[in-house]
This record gives sequence, C-alpha cells and structure tokens, in this order.
Amino acid sequence: MKLLILQEKLKQGLNVVSKLTPKSLTLPILNNILLNTEKNFLELSSTDLEVGIKYYILTKIEKQGKTTIPSQLLFNFINLLPNKKVEVELIKNNLKINCDNYKTQINTISAEEFPIIPSLKGAESITIDNSLFCESLNQVADNASLSGAKPEISGVYLFFQKKQLTITATDSFRLAEKKIFFKKPTLLKDEHALIIPQKTAKHLINIFNEKEGEIKISFSQNQIVFESFLEEDSHPQVQLTSKLIDGEYPNYQEIIPEKFTTEAVLKKEDFLNQIKSASLFSKKTNEIKVKIKEGTITLYSENAEKGEYESTLKAKTKGKKEEIVFNYKFLVDGLSNIKSSEVVFGCNGDAGPSALKPVGDQSYLYVVMPIKP
Amino acid sequence: MLVLVNMNNQELWQTMLAQIQTDLSPANFSTWFKNTKIIGGEKEKIQIGVPNSFVKEWLENKYHKKIFKIIHEINPEIKEIEYLIKRYEAPENKKSTEDVIAETQLTFQELNNNQENNLNAKYLFENLVVGSFNELPYAAASAVEENPGNIYNPFFLYGGVGLGKTHILQAIGNQINKNFKKKNIKYISSERFTSELISSIHNRTISSFKNKYKKIDVLIIDDIQFLSGKEKTQEEFFHIFNVLYEKNKQIIVSSDRPPKSISYLAERLRSRFEGGMTADISMPDLETRMAILKSKAQEKNTDFPDEIYSYIASIIKTNIRELEGALNRLIVHQKINNNLTLEDVKKILKEITAPPTKIITPKKIIQTVADFFDLKEKDIINKSRRQEVVRPRQIIMYLLREETKSSFPFIGKKVGGKDHTTAMHSYKKIAQELEKDKKLEEEIFLIKERLLNSP
Repeated sequence: MKLLILQEKLKQGLNVVSKLTPKSLTLPILNNILLNTEKNFLELSSTDLEVGIKYYILTKIEKQGKTTIPSQLLFNFINLLPNKKVEVELIKNNLKINCDNYKTQINTISAEEFPIIPSLKGAESITIDNSLFCESLNQVADNASLSGAKPEISGVYLFFQKKQLTITATDSFRLAEKKIFFKKPTLLKDEHALIIPQKTAKHLINIFNEKEGEIKISFSQNQIVFESFLEEDSHPQVQLTSKLIDGEYPNYQEIIPEKFTTEAVLKKEDFLNQIKSASLFSKKTNEIKVKIKEGTITLYSENAEKGEYESTLKAKTKGKKEEIVFNYKFLVDGLSNIKSSEVVFGCNGDAGPSALKPVGDQSYLYVVMPIKP
Repeated sequence: MLVLVNMNNQELWQTMLAQIQTDLSPANFSTWFKNTKIIGGEKEKIQIGVPNSFVKEWLENKYHKKIFKIIHEINPEIKEIEYLIKRYEAPENKKSTEDVIAETQLTFQELNNNQENNLNAKYLFENLVVGSFNELPYAAASAVEENPGNIYNPFFLYGGVGLGKTHILQAIGNQINKNFKKKNIKYISSERFTSELISSIHNRTISSFKNKYKKIDVLIIDDIQFLSGKEKTQEEFFHIFNVLYEKNKQIIVSSDRPPKSISYLAERLRSRFEGGMTADISMPDLETRMAILKSKAQEKNTDFPDEIYSYIASIIKTNIRELEGALNRLIVHQKINNNLTLEDVKKILKEITAPPTKIITPKKIIQTVADFFDLKEKDIINKSRRQEVVRPRQIIMYLLREETKSSFPFIGKKVGGKDHTTAMHSYKKIAQELEKDKKLEEEIFLIKERLLNSP
C-alpha cells in the first residue's frame, strides 16, 4: 500500500471513524482502524461489532493494499501534523507515515484479522434531508430506556411509511414522538418498522449532524445502513452500519392521550427557566409540584435541607384546576426539545398522562407520567 | 464413529466448539462463537444460529472451512452449513439510570400489555370477585372461554362505569390465550378501532387493516357505545363481524348500556348484538363490596380491620373503581401512621363521603338527556310531537322534578312553555313505567350517573 493524501482530509476521516473505537480488551483488533484502498479511494473503517463505520477519501493511490493500526495513536499523530501532503506506505508489518519534517513507523496488525462489516443485500431505502433527520432523532433519542429489562424500548423506533417517517422513544415514564413528513412520497413498497439501538442513534447524531445534503437510509430485516455522499462525486463518503434490535415495538399509540382535562398555553422559555429554578429545591427524587388554575401556573418545590421555592407564570388555561407532581428532569427534557416559543401543556389529573406540544407544530409530541402525590 | 452420527445437534455443536477452540485465541473464540448454536437442518444441511450479522460474515468468510471440516468428520452426511441470524437472547447488562426515580413515579401501563393481543395480564378470572351482581356474566364468560366461538357468540356484556366489564373481557382473553395457544386474540377499545381505521384510510392501507381483523380468532371490543354515530366505522366493523361470525370466531363486545339503548347504531349491527348472549353487570351488594375491598387489599399486601372495610363499602356504593381509589388512599396514610382507626378513616375519606354537593341545574339536566339520546337541545324544547323527542322530554320533566324539586309550572316553562298539567302527567307516566320497565330504569340510572360525573 502506498498513497499520498492531504493531512486535513485524513484528519477529517479519522475524526469520524475514531469515534467508534471501543476499549476492547477481549478483541484488541477492535481498537484498530482498517485502512484499505479501493481504486481511487482510501477507505477507513472501525467497528465495535454492533455498529460499523466506513469513511471514503478520494486519494492519489500509487499501490493498492490494506492494513490496520491503533486508532487513537494514528488520530493523535495525524492531528498534530501540519496541513501538508502526507505520504503513507506499508512496508512489511510497519506503516511508514511521512509529512514535512515528521517521520514515523507504526506497528500494524494484519487486515485479515479485522471484522468484516456486513453489507446489505436486496434492501429498501429512502433518502431524506440530513440535518432534518439528525435534528429529529436528537429530539427523541434520549428518551429510550436505559435498563435492559425490555430490549425493545432500549432502542429508538423508526416507522417508515410512504408519506412520513415517525421516530419514537420511551423509557416507560415518558415518551417522545417526532414525525417527518416527506415532501414527495417515497418509493417504499411496504411500511417498515425498525428499532435501532440508542447507541446507534447517538453515533448518527454525532457523525452526520453537521453535514449538509441528504442521507440515504437502507434497511433489511436485521441490518440498517446510513450513508452520506461526497459533494464532488456520487460515491458514499460516510457509511454507518448497525444491527437492529429484534422484537416488536410496543403499540404506543395507546399511551398518547387524545383529550386533556386541563390545558394551558404558555411561554416555553419562562416555563423552562422556572422549572430549572424549582429544581434547585427539589428532593433527591426530583419532585416539583405544578399547580394549574385560571390564568396561572405555579411551581413549588421544597427540600428539608435547602428550603422552599415558589414561582408563578401567566398562562392561557382551560379545564379543571389541577395539582400535579412531576420529576422535573422529565419536564426539562421534553421542553428543551420543543423549538416553538409557546408550548401547550395538557394534563389528565394527578395520575394520568400529561403532554407537551409545540404551538403550531403537529410534528412533535412529548408525553410524561406524573409522580403519585 | 457410528455412535457419533447419532449424537444430537447440541452435542454435535459442542464437539465442534471443543475442537475449534484449540485452533483459536481465547478472545477470538469467545467473540465469534458466543451465543451460537445449531438451530435446525435436514439430513445433509444444518443451520447455525448466530447473534448478529458481524458474526455471520466472519464465520462465513473466515471459519467456514474449519467448521465444515470438523462437522463433516463427525457426521459425513452433512454437506452444507447455513448461518442464520437469530434473536439476541442475552440482553446486555447496561447500567440503570443514574438518577433516583421516585418510588411513586407512574409508568405507562400500556407498555405491559401483551404485544400481540393487547391484553393486560393482570386481569384474570382468579382475581375477579364474583357475587350476585356479576354471576350471570361470569358464568357466560366461563362458557365462552372454555369453548370460544361455539356457545355464546357474540357475547354482549353491559353495565355501568367501574363495575368490572373490562376485567371480565380481558380475563376471557387471557384465559383463552392460556388454554388455546394458537388462537389469535385481539383486545381493542372501539375508540382505538376507529382511529386505526381512520389512519388506514389516510395511509391507504385499508385492505391490510381489514385483513388483519379477518384473521382474528377471538375479537374483543371494549366500550362499543362509542361507535354511536360513526357510520363508516360501523360499516367496516359490520363486515368484519360477519366474516368472523360465519367462520365461528368468537366476538366479545362490551358497552355501558344494552344494544337497544345505543343511539345511532345501525339496525343490522344492533340485531347482530342481540342475536347472541347478552348479560349485564349490576351493582354489587354490601357484602360483595367488602369482599372486593379485601381481595384488593390482599393484592397490595396489606389488611385492615373489618369495620373499616364495612365503612368504605357503606359509603361507596356504585363504583368498584372508587372503592379501589378509597382503599389506595388509606394505604398511603397507613404507611405514614401505622394503626388506622375507624375515626382516622372517616377523616381521611371525608372528601369522598361528603363530595361538594353538585348543583344540578335544569339546564344541565336538559343537556345531559339531550346528549344521551343524541338529540339537539332545541329539538327537545320545541313543540314537536315526534316519538323520539316526546320520550326524552318526559324523562327530562321527571328528572327535573326528582333532582331539583322544581314546581310543575316551572318545569313546564323550562321545556318549552308547556302547561303544568303536561309536566304532572309526564312525571307520573315515567314514575309508573319505571316500576315495570327494566330498560327505562337502566336508562334513567345511566343518565343520573352522567349528571353526577360530568364536570
């Protein structure tokens, strides 16, 4: 293997693939990244055996070949180099890297040892605006369950339909649902319901977030691939492959309340600020009390060690008066993912599901259960 | 070697693992062979279940020759090996949330429902309290559960709010699920049925919606009265009903009133409901209410003296859910101060015993009755003598007298300037009929309940 590449380009690629290098003690090869040449491209790959990432860089390649080297070492080293041409050559078991006045030789492990990142065959796919997808995923993904007791809800649910994609996550205390309405109907033959691991969602947000353009999502029964493309060529730039969580996502539609006995419309930022202030005086279990009556919402909290808190804000209210206790974190999580300046806060008594919705936006919904008084 | 040929798949794979282990590093072995096993195959072909596609790729591309060689040596008949991705059985042990979740944090109960049939496993016949108030429905339900589709079909169960209709419905489902593993059961509320239908119309998937329901062996629909006035939903439901009924599939329906009293229900649907078994749940008597309290307390691992049960049962008469609510309230108080006396209980339950007396206004009565019969208020108050208006009007006059103790001239004026003799006549007529007409009694009861429960 012999190639010539710009430091900047290599750094960008390593920045992406090195995000996925687990400190694996059982299988040291997983701490390495795979460098492979494919015609005019240098392909960088990393994997933790659940997710695999490939990154392609258009490169001047003099001699084809492949090898693996420790991810962190390479990343740190390349990061420190000046932005000039980098010469990379594999000589026996060593990778020689020369740039400007720097010269190194890094020990390699044979590429034969590196896991094969599975490819998808005969899959259906859709293409969607990248930043919209990442933002939507970000609004939802944090709500997935952290306990492994119910594997289905430990992931993020993606439901692909002809006209829309619905993204959902719940940990059984709260649930967030985001809908993306496609501008044009997709070419999907069927509806597809998939569950991706929460970790995969986090990687996606992390890696694709700032990229412009579109992302292609392809899926089969147990594998999903996300791809973004090079600007100068239709060749893929980043490819993230993930396993899917087996199982059927709960029929969560039952959870979403259709009516509310109390409803309030109020300014989101003010509400969020007051909840955060109230949280300073909440107990260990994060309880704050929300009191809704005509025209106002009042927040209370008290903590034997710290003291008491009370604040009031104006709201357009209708329905019954209500006093409900919540875990403030759940309210903060829901509110911070709402983009509108006003928010609808709907409640169903002190033991029924409450909901937060942006005003004038039907695409996002956050449902939360109270704490029993 | 003959002995080896006869070994079962599990032993075969174990032998293979034992041999291949010697060729690999321990890390490689545990990474690629953990959670693999033979999951099937025919004479010449075996299928290996693997946990994910990384393992599948790796075994296929790197170790296939080795695996095949070992297996072929043990059993020469095997000529082909296939690798299939099987469900991940051992979920990873992730850390639970760092934050303390309050013990009393409520969760979405619906997530505990069975994914396929939507039944909640907590509703069983074993924890159903049977008394004179629900003996008939219980007997019918047991018959249905033993022989679904053949005895009482459809089974129509009705009764007031909070008397345990859903419990019986779900218990039938759960019991059938236990006894007949292969039956495809579906529990759904009529509201959910409607919204599923609407979304399938919207997404143009109506044929798959219909097919899904036509494959069901036991269809349980709760609160069917909400189909009232929804013509398209009724039509689709009617077709599904017919398909299932012709194939002897069990249909179970519940409502808060008998089929006759559900307004705006297509006649053909009504007659279908009446064609099967109809059973009603009435009010539980005092002893049964006590028994229910005791069994609920037991479920929650606590107990109170009999005089407390008897007190609760004597103040809450018409709704089992409220009984449970009162009990829950006591349990919370019991946690704080250990021994509750009857006096304490009286104080705690004061809010329930002396509810802020609801002021029932004539306007509210007219509204509620009009809603109940799906009529417009102004239709009732005009001069029409159409049968469907006359009767509700009489009921209004009866209730005005009974609930607000208004004078007859006042009543006459309220329902559209009628003479006080008309009001007197109406009151007497309904009062007399009430003595013999069970259906009317039920209707009046339901209306009163709505009057009290409406906000």
